[in-house]
Amino acid sequence: MTDREQYSPGPASGAQIRKDGEKWTLILVRELRHSPEKVWQALTDPAHLREWAPFDADGSLGTVGTTVKLTTAGAPTPHVSETRVTRADAPELLEYNWGDHNMRWELEALGGGTRLTLWTNIGRRFIAMGAAGWHICFDVLDRLLSGTPIGRMVAGDAMKFSGWQRLNAEYARQFGIETPNRPPQAAQKS
Amino acid sequence: MKIKVTSLYVDDQDKALRFYTEVLGFAKKSDFSQGPFRWLTVASPEEPDGTELQLALNNNPEAAAYQRAIFQKGQPAAMFFTDDVKGDYERIKARGAQFTMPPTDVTGSTIAMLNDTCGNLIQLTQLARYSR
Repeated sequence: MTDREQYSPGPASGAQIRKDGEKWTLILVRELRHSPEKVWQALTDPAHLREWAPFDADGSLGTVGTTVKLTTAGAPTPHVSETRVTRADAPELLEYNWGDHNMRWELEALGGGTRLTLWTNIGRRFIAMGAAGWHICFDVLDRLLSGTPIGRMVAGDAMKFSGWQRLNAEYARQFGIETPNRPPQAAQKS
Repeated sequence: MKIKVTSLYVDDQDKALRFYTEVLGFAKKSDFSQGPFRWLTVASPEEPDGTELQLALNNNPEAAAYQRAIFQKGQPAAMFFTDDVKGDYERIKARGAQFTMPPTDVTGSTIAMLNDTCGNLIQLTQLARYSR
């Protein structure tokens, strides 16, 4: 079996939600065994992003003021959004929008590693789904940075395996929201 | 090959979901998102595994221009078939929808046109051979 086949995500952890009026924010914290510089590169460099992130970028996200096109990876119809980098303080703070989602990444040095925090606004109905998706993305990122990449797992690729379903249900329970949405039929085959 | 999904641009997916389910009476079929992308479809309760209508967010200038242009020309963005256009007209109107054309006899069918509040005209069609 390959590493990818053997991969199974751990239990739901490190996520919180915050409600501000009608706006919901998902906050995800992950401790990585890699330096902030290395993590920063993975967050900003298109060649790294395509190995783990749920989107492809047509340019670096590491320069403030630049406009970059983000293509949602694995979307059932092609989907491109223009993004603008509003903060890029390497290797500590990165902010840009992904469509109508504000993305704020904070990197704190922690021993030899990094505590990575993502704040992103997301519709309430998708908040558990988003937490499950990012959980898997962060696992893939961690392995990529360790030099043992297992390949990007997003969209249908992520949804079709049981770990995603479990995470989605666990996060929904942690957040106290109703049963998560069903993924599309095409993703339910396996 | 089958025609399984057809797409419609809408200016707000939450609003569209409410209109297409609560006013028109369709049922939500799939709804998931990845970042800013949201795949949202509805289907007819009369044919739950039939063709799905994707309510796609109109979030680029090209889509918005196309949608506005066909709206202004009075062209429907989608057409639904019914066995009872007058009954549907009364039912949908009672739920607050605005019709731009009441049921009208045309060649081979009776049609009505309504505004979906999301930037589209929708035509209801009853073919004459289905008439009672």
